[in-house]
Parts: sequence; C-alpha cells; structure tokens
Amino acid sequence: MNNFFTAKRLRWVAAAIVLLNGFFPAVWILFTSLKNEVELTAKPITYWPQNPVLSNYVAAFRDQPLPGYLLNSVIVACLSMLLALFISTLAAYAIARLNLKRRNLILTGIIAVSMFPLVTLMVPLFEIMRGLNLLNSYTALVLPYTVLNLPICTLILVSFFQDIPRDIENAAMIDGCTRLGALWHVVMPLAAPGVFTAGILAFVNAWDEFLLSMSMNAAVAYRTLPVGIQMYQGEFSFPWPTISAALVIALVPVVTVILIFQERVVSGLTSGGLKG
Amino acid sequence: MATRTLRDRLLDPGETALAWALLSPALLFIIVIVAYPVATLVINSFFDIRLSRGLPITFIGFDNYAAAFADSMFWRAVKNTLIITFVTVPGALVVGLGLAMLANMPFRFRGPIRLALLLPWALPLAFVGLIFAWFFHSEYGIINDLIRRFGGEPRIWFNSPGLTMMAICIATIWKTSSFMALILLAGLQTIPASLYEAAEVDGASKWTQFTEITLPLLVPSMLVALIFRTLTAIQSFDIPFSMPGPGEESQTLAMYIQLNTVDYLDLGYGSTLAVFMFMLSMATTFVYLRYVRGDKD
Repeated sequence: MNNFFTAKRLRWVAAAIVLLNGFFPAVWILFTSLKNEVELTAKPITYWPQNPVLSNYVAAFRDQPLPGYLLNSVIVACLSMLLALFISTLAAYAIARLNLKRRNLILTGIIAVSMFPLVTLMVPLFEIMRGLNLLNSYTALVLPYTVLNLPICTLILVSFFQDIPRDIENAAMIDGCTRLGALWHVVMPLAAPGVFTAGILAFVNAWDEFLLSMSMNAAVAYRTLPVGIQMYQGEFSFPWPTISAALVIALVPVVTVILIFQERVVSGLTSGGLKG
Repeated sequence: MATRTLRDRLLDPGETALAWALLSPALLFIIVIVAYPVATLVINSFFDIRLSRGLPITFIGFDNYAAAFADSMFWRAVKNTLIITFVTVPGALVVGLGLAMLANMPFRFRGPIRLALLLPWALPLAFVGLIFAWFFHSEYGIINDLIRRFGGEPRIWFNSPGLTMMAICIATIWKTSSFMALILLAGLQTIPASLYEAAEVDGASKWTQFTEITLPLLVPSMLVALIFRTLTAIQSFDIPFSMPGPGEESQTLAMYIQLNTVDYLDLGYGSTLAVFMFMLSMATTFVYLRYVRGDKD
C-alpha cells in the first residue's frame, strides 16, 4: 500500500490537481467556443470538440462590437495604470526618502483607502459624474481606478525605494543633480522592477473591474470588456458558444500579461498582500 | 566642501516642503475621489433624492434608514451577502491552504504550477460568473453531466434560490482561493526546513508538524489575506450578477445598492444602503484589527 503512494507519484497527483483546478475553466470555455450548435446540444455532452469550428468567433465579432470593447478596456486600464504609477511614485518617494514627519501614518492613510468598499464610492461618484455630465466617458473610470490602485502601487514602490542605497542618490546630488533629477535619473531606473510590478497589478485591477464600469459607462461606445461580454445574452436567449468565443478573445490579453510577467505578479501580490 | 553642501541640502527645510508637494497629487485624488464622495454619501442618506420623479430634494431625517429597516428586499440582500461571506471566506482559506500545500511540493517545473494559481486571480470576476453559469447549466452544463455519469439526479440549479447560492459560492471560492494560495505559498516558503527536520528527529507525525509548525507560522500571512478577502466578499457583485437565480432571490447588498442608485435613480435610498455597507466593512476591519492586536498581547 505504502509503495503505491511513492513521493514521486504523490507529486504528480498534486501537480495534476493544481493544474486542473487552475486551467480547467479556461480550457472548457475554449472547447465550448469550438463546438457547433448541433454538437453543443448533443446528449450526453461531448468533452473534446468533435468537429472544431470557428463560426462562433465570427459571431462574437458580428453580434457585439468586440474590438471596441477591447479598445475601451485597453485605454481605461493603461491610462489609469500610468496615472496611478505617476502619482504613487511621487508619494512613495516622499514617504520613503524625504524628511517627513509621521511618514508611517501617511502610508497607513493611503493604504486605508483600499478598505473603502467600491460600491459605497460608486453611489456618490455616480451622482458627481452625472452632475458633471461625465457619465459615459473614459474619465468616469480612469479617475476612480487610479485611486483604487494608489494603495497597492504606493506600498510596493515604498518598499522598493527603501531598498535602494541612499549613497547612490547622494552621489548624484553631489554631481549637481537636483532631488527630482536624482529620482528620475538614478532612483527610477533602479526601482524599475518595482514600478513594473505595481504597474501590472494596477493594469489587471482596472481590466477586471465590473461594477463601476457598468454603472458609469452603460453606452455601447464606452463599455469595457467585462460589461460588453454580458451583452451577448438576450432576454430569453443565452448564446453560450458565442459568449465562450468572446470570453476566449477577452482572455488573451490578460493571459499574455501574466504569462510574460508571472514572477513579477507573484512578487507584487505577496509583498503587497492586498486585494483579491 | 562637497559634503557640506550635501548636508545643507539634506537639512534644507525645503525638503519637507518638497515631500508635501510630491504627496499632494495622491492626497488630492484621495480627497476628491474618496473623502468628498463619502461625505456626500452620508449627507445624501438624510435626503429624499429621487431623480426619476423630478421632485425637489428634501431633508427627511432618518426616513431612509427607517425605510431600509422595513424593507424585506434589503434584509434579503443582507442575508445573501452574509451567507456568501461566511461560506466563501473560510472556503477560500481551506481550499487555498490545500492548493498552497500541494503547490509547495518540490516540483521540477514551477512555471505551470504558478500560472495555474495566477490564472483564476487574473480572470475578471464577471467572466468567472459567466463561466460557472455555463458549468451549472441544467441541460448542457458539465456539472449536471458529471452528476448523471455518477448516477445522481441532475438539478436545475438556477431555478432554486438555495442551489443558486451554492453555485455562486462555489464560483467565488474557485476564483478567490488561488489568490489565497499564492499568499499562503509565500508564507510556506519562509518556514525554515530545519524546523521540520527537527520535528522529524523528535518523531512528530506529519499531522503534528502541520498543526504545530505550519499553521501557527502561517497565521500572519493568513490574517492579511483574510481581511481583504472578507472585505471583498461583503461587496460581492460581479459573480452573483452573472449567475442570476429565480427572480431576485440571490440579490446581494451591492446589487441592491446598484439597482436603487443606477436603475431607480433613488440616490437618497441608495446612499443609505451604501452607508450600511460602509458600516459593515468598518466593523469587519475593526474585528480583525482587534483580533490581531489581541493576539499580540
């Protein structure tokens, strides 16, 4: 009995469980997206697509302006990421390096922002954006997402700035650099991994957001992907193969990002330990 | 001479001014997008602001709060939110711990394992809701297919409030447990192997090692993850929204707030409900912080 459960076999089983758990839903959606109508309604259901077709992908582009949704998501996620990085870099540098009283209190205050329920903010922000005629605009999402990402970005950047030896900056300033010059030319290149990590997390957070996006930007022209994907369903119809195809397309960017940057993402998530 | 000018510069009172200047964009954003809206929220909760009726905005004191207490849909939304929180937070912790222990085994290829934990984290919640709604589809869903294959009775999941909540909780646990696993995995990797070796020498069983070494040393990483997991569970919106059951039986507090605010344009009542949500979150944070502090004493 004990011979059967060798360490090696146990390891394979463990790996299989983790891999199946993580990848199965995405793989299943991929399979569904390749099935035709006949196969989809066959009983018992087929697992592996028998005659893979691409017609669902054609339908995904035909039934909804999918490229538009993608573009909106990219614009909103990139703008809010850049803005969050810019603002939190300045704040993190001040907290990590400059002569500042109660720096821990200020950092705690910024982190406390992530404790605010987004739904709670949605109600007054909806009213404010409505009053300013900003419903259905990129601004209505970029500004809140920027604030949403300030805590995690600041936290990550503070810890990176603190790890950079002060001597390097001092040397640059002796050579005639100003403080901000030293930040830009000397500190930033050294903190690049931190900036990257913070940026990826900010991007994914903004990319995934649904509630604000649905509430603020209901118009087709400004819908982001998570909201747009919901629009394939009619009142009584649920075109699952088309939705699956759209989901697969929508997953490509974010999967690519985590595939390339997985080590950074993991280090950012575990060092920050925030958001889920 | 050089050091002198450097010291002058460091002691320059301008540095504090510079610090505040650098902090000001962040503080400005927080004031405009968080502090000011939260203040308006509290004020609005005392007013009758029903934009759809075009009536003047009037001060009504605690009427919105009284209305909420008498509103059965509000209580149903609170109940659903609490069910999701009390099921999915411990659920995600247990599943996440399991995944973390499995992923912590000495594999030759770490990349795919790490990716398998990252993918559920990176998937938008709204997508997860849709994907699991398809899993639980009564005719063509894989869950009912598996139930049939094992000789069970397939269910029409989204026709029953209870089964809908179950499906929502399963989807939520799947989505959130991998993030929990990543945090716990990082915690596991900081535990020195020498502790286990020493326990092995002392003849401690695997289970004793788990309860006496692994769990206690994981508590700090667990707490951080739990606080944020609980706060997000209280705000559950995307998954229940994408997996609707019969009528509005599985509506959560966040969904009810969104409905009143955006669809009914009843900003007074929406604000009142949001104040409840806010208090619920603050209470949660308070309880956890108290526990953390109590633990240290």
